[in-house]
Parts: sequence; structure tokens; C-alpha cells
Amino acid sequence: MATVAGWGPAFCRWKTPMADVAMQSPAVKAPTVHARTLRGDAGIAWLLTLPAILAYCAMILLPLLAVLALAFTDYEFGARSFHWIGFGNFADMLGDRTFSASIRNTVVYCLFVAPLSIGIALCLAVLIEAGARGRAFWRAVFFLPVVSLTVAMATAWQYLLHPSIGPVNALLRMVGAGTPNWLGSSDWVIVSLGFIGVWENVGFNLVLFLAGLTAIPRELYAASEIDGARSGWSKFWLVTWPMLGPTMLFVIIITMTRSIRVFDTVQTLTQGGPNNASEVLLRTIHQEGFHYFRFGYSAAITLVFLVIVLGLMLIQTRLIDRRVHYG
Amino acid sequence: MSGIVLHDIQKSFGATKVLRGVSLSVTQGEFLSLVGPSGCGKTTLMRIIAGLEAVSSGAVQIAGRDVTALRAADRDVAMVFQNYALYPHLTVRQNIGVPLMMRRLSAAERIPFFGGLLPGVAEKQRTINADVANAAEMLGIGKLVDRKPAQLSGGQRQRVALGRAIVRHPMAFLMDEPLSNLDAALRVTTRSEIVALHRRVGASTVYVTHDQSEAMTMSDRVAVMMDGLILQVGTPEDIYTNPQDLRVAAFIGSPSINMLAAEIDPHGRVTTGSVSIGLGASGHGPAILAIRPEDIAPHATGIAARIEHQEYLGESLLVHARVLDSGEQVICRLPPEKRRHVARGETVHLRPDPAKALLFDGDGRRLGSRVLSLEDAHG
Repeated sequence: MATVAGWGPAFCRWKTPMADVAMQSPAVKAPTVHARTLRGDAGIAWLLTLPAILAYCAMILLPLLAVLALAFTDYEFGARSFHWIGFGNFADMLGDRTFSASIRNTVVYCLFVAPLSIGIALCLAVLIEAGARGRAFWRAVFFLPVVSLTVAMATAWQYLLHPSIGPVNALLRMVGAGTPNWLGSSDWVIVSLGFIGVWENVGFNLVLFLAGLTAIPRELYAASEIDGARSGWSKFWLVTWPMLGPTMLFVIIITMTRSIRVFDTVQTLTQGGPNNASEVLLRTIHQEGFHYFRFGYSAAITLVFLVIVLGLMLIQTRLIDRRVHYG
Repeated sequence: MSGIVLHDIQKSFGATKVLRGVSLSVTQGEFLSLVGPSGCGKTTLMRIIAGLEAVSSGAVQIAGRDVTALRAADRDVAMVFQNYALYPHLTVRQNIGVPLMMRRLSAAERIPFFGGLLPGVAEKQRTINADVANAAEMLGIGKLVDRKPAQLSGGQRQRVALGRAIVRHPMAFLMDEPLSNLDAALRVTTRSEIVALHRRVGASTVYVTHDQSEAMTMSDRVAVMMDGLILQVGTPEDIYTNPQDLRVAAFIGSPSINMLAAEIDPHGRVTTGSVSIGLGASGHGPAILAIRPEDIAPHATGIAARIEHQEYLGESLLVHARVLDSGEQVICRLPPEKRRHVARGETVHLRPDPAKALLFDGDGRRLGSRVLSLEDAHG
């Protein structure tokens, strides 16, 4: 958009290009017009971005800063005053058995859910993609857990895994195997929650992998066939696996962050029990903040949680990203 | 018997018949082009030769062996794809080496890191690298072997694709429009390079293209395909001067052949627009006279036409004219110095050279014809 020299950009930016052309005086030198146009465009750009900037500040940046500040105080909800206690909250965490249990359980949960749900989803995606019929059907079947309400589904799981009346243990009794108390024993509870987590995540990862698979050029499979790749196995390693690299990176990041954020199944099925055996990071934050109203301590744990998530993403993007994008 | 032999190949996708009985034989070391408009089935035919597509009926023989039931990997053919189909995650060296890796190394030996520890693998890897280096040198891409496809230009990628094809000395080469993604200048130079490469390697080559000039300039023989059938197979000269089907005559040649409605009178003389053109044929009734632009020229006794437009091409002049009686469009190729003698809007009399004129019946089948002596023509 060209503007007339001498008119302020604040005014000019509201004019239409047609008006500009009509008002342009022949004496105006091109470079001046150009410089002013750029400034005017930049102004409009900032103006148009303003709502998003404000929303970002109000909803993400300010709360984050508030958490950052709270983490270094002993503020409790409803208290009339608070004190800056430096790294006091973080020092408390080191001796807090609930916190260390929740860190340990979250790590175990992640290491259980992420590889299993990614591996199973990849196998299913390759099978569904290779199958001639029913792709939409299988995709819908496996995607169902993603769109269903976890809290509602938790009731079903509670029934399925019930130690005495649950079908799972009934089946185990029939084959003469042991019948553990899935959600009630501290040995099994994190595995049981992990299975539910896998069940929840497989469908989501499956859809991502299916999208990644359809993006692989068919010609590459034809070329690999001509080049002598006889088995599906060798075609998978020659074409599918490397071509799925970018999808795989994305799936790993998404699954890791989703499983670190596990909360609803724990809260509805076990409330962190028995004896903190299923206490996870997000539930600890929730308990400290909304149960004990220790906002300062809760904020400090949130900060630890954020650092873990950001650290994971950084490692994954920095280390793997370079190796999965081929330009 | 060597080379590639196709017996009555039929192929349907659902209810659509793509190939309707194609028979063809490519002799050992021959360069044969399959040319035809898009959708004529030429790529399907090539994929059938490669083993990427199964036939509905018919048989494929390569080097005397019936390979109809064999998979692509077992047919000993190499293929160059239209979009090159290079593995983007592998370097040029690895890309060219893939066919050798897949054939010379077992599945266990191909496992990264671990496979290299097995006995004998290092030695095999050395011979593979040497063969790859040879192929890369032959194609002039020896310096690029450590790059990935994304870092190469279109022409370089094309060479890598060729390298991957020649590295294992296959019985047959299949090329699916390999030049269509190159710019015009590169396309012309690469044409002659592919022909030279074919001479050095000496394997039977089937080359699919929709570009008739590629087919004509590169091939020993050309097969013209249309609607799932091969209409004619012959040398480029044969196809150009002696087409057996009107569709072949119309497809080959640029600008395309002129077609004029004609009539064979009871005496066997061919007339068009009531002008006898000195051509005789057996039978009588309506016919189509086809004449190449270079075989029709101004002459006192020709067909009256009005000049509409002319194109100066440097080495020749194309005159576009419209026949006065019938409104048919005629293009005539003249020596460039005639430029001063023709002007838009003028009427000229154009006479087809009876020795070069081609006669077809209403169904597009070629009719026999002979040049009449002067007495016959007017008697």
C-alpha cells in the first residue's frame, strides 16, 4: 500500500489502496513512500496481533509468572500475608515422601505407557494400512477411548478390575492363575493404571501414525520392491520406519507429555492410594493446592513439573529432530 | 529367446479395462518407447512388466523365462520412476547401493551396526561400495555420493535414479517418463545421455513417455498405444511416414498431420474439395486424406485456401490456412524465404504431394493408394 508523504502513518493505514493512488502526488519519491508503507504495515500487523498478545499475557504468561513468584513464598490460600522463603519449598520437597513417591510413580507410569502405546499403535497402524477393507471401522474402534470420558470409563474399569466380582479376575480364576487386587495392591496399582493409560493413548497415536503412513509416497514402496525388498519386514525398515520419523518424533513428545499429565484415572480410581503407591505429580499438585491450600508449595511442584516437561521436549526436538527430517 | 515378450496382456481395474490384449516383443539390447496420450495404459503396461501389477490374463517373459507369476524383486528388472523415488533418508551412495544390499546381504547382515560384525560382511560391503563408485563415476556424480537427495538438483537426482538402476546390471530397464520433471534444456541433453548409457549397458529398455519427440529421437522402435491397445510398432521413420492408423498419424508429428475429407470416385481417383490430387485407390466412397505439413505446398492446381496466420520458426515457415469450400484447417511447412510471398487474407492453392499422401477409411484404417500418371488423373 502506498501512502502520501507528509501524512502520518496512523492516518494512512486506514485508507484503501484505491484512495492512496488517487491522492498520490507526483512529487513523492519512491523510497520515502516505500519506507512509510513498511512502517504503516508493521503498525497494522501489531494492532491485529494485539488481541492475541493480550490473551496470551492474561491467560498464560501472567499465571506462569504468578506461579513462578508463588513458588518462592509460603503463601496459603486465605492467609492475610506471606513471606518470601527463597528455595524453602524446594528444600521441603527433598524430604517429602509423598512428593518423591509421586515423582517415582510418574516416571514408572511414563516408561510403561509411552513405549507400549507407541509400539502397539504403530503395529496396529501398519496392519490397518495394509488391510484392504474396514480401515475406517478399525480406526473408529481404536479411537473410541480417546473421545470417551475417562471419568465415565473409569467406572467400567473399576468393575472390570474388581478383585472379586470383576471379569478379569473371573477369567484368571478359570485358567487357574493368581487373582491380584489390581487397583488395591501397591504392587499392581501402577501397572493397572498403566494399562488403562495405554488403552487411552493407543487410539490417539494410531490416528497420528495412520496419517503419517498415508503421506509416504507409494512410489517408494514400488522402488523398494524393484530393488529387491521381498518381505514386508524389509520394506518396513527400508521405507516405512525412516519415512515415519517426523511422525514418530511428534508421537513420542505427545505421548510423553500426555502420560506425565496423568490425573483423572488416578483421581477417580485410586485417589493416589494405596499408601501413595499411585500418587502422581499432577495429583500431588492438586492435593497440595486445593486440599491443603498450600499454594506456595503447590506452585513449587508445578514449577518442577514444567521444568521436566520442557526439558523432555528440548531433548527430543534437539536430539531427534535433526535425524528425522531429510530436507 | 532373450529380451522381453508380452503375450496378449489384459488388465482390468474393477470394471475398467485398461489393457485390452497387448502383445509386444522387445529384442535383447533394444530401446523401445511406449508412447501414447495420458490414460492409454502405457504406465500400467510398464508396471506389469516390472511386476508391480498383476495381469488379468496373458503372460510376460523376460530373457526366455516366464515371469508372469514372479514378484518384482525376482524379475531382474530395474526401473527409473517419474519422480525418481529416491530414499530421502539415505545418501547418494546408499541409494545406489540399495539393490546390491538387498541382493547380496542376508536380512541379518543388513541390520545396522550388528550386521557389520558378522563374518564376511565387511568384504561384501567393500565390493558393494566399489560397484556403487563405478556406477556413480559412469554417471558423473562421483563427487555427490555423500549428499542426501534433498541437497541435489533435479538433474542430479535423475542420475542417482539411473545409477540405482544400472548398478546391478539387470536384464531389462524400465523407465517411466524419467525426463518429465526436468526443464526443457536439460531434457534434451539428458535424452542423448540416456541413449548413450543404454548403448554402454546394452540391456533391453522399455521407455514410457507421452512426448512423441522423446520417443522418436531416442528409440530403436516406437510402440504407439491408445485406449489400451498397441496400434503400431515400428522404427521412428516407419511410424512417421507409414502410419497404419489415423490416430497414429495424428499423434506423431508436430505440428500434427493435416486431415482433409476426401472422396474416391468410381474410377478410383481421390478428390478432395472436387480437386483431383493425382492419387488412386481401390474401391470408392468417402475417405480421409492425411498429409504432413511439409508435403503440401502452393501449386497452380491445388485446393483453394485462405491464409489465416503464419509462424516463422527460423528454419521453416508454418502457414495456417483454411480451405475455402470446407472450412478445414491446413498447416503447411514452407522454406523460410517464402515469407515474403505469403500474406494474411490471401488465397493460395495448396497441392498435396501424391507420393507422400496417406489415405484412411472412415474408421481410421489405412487404405492402399498409388500415384496416378497425368493421363489417369484427368482422363
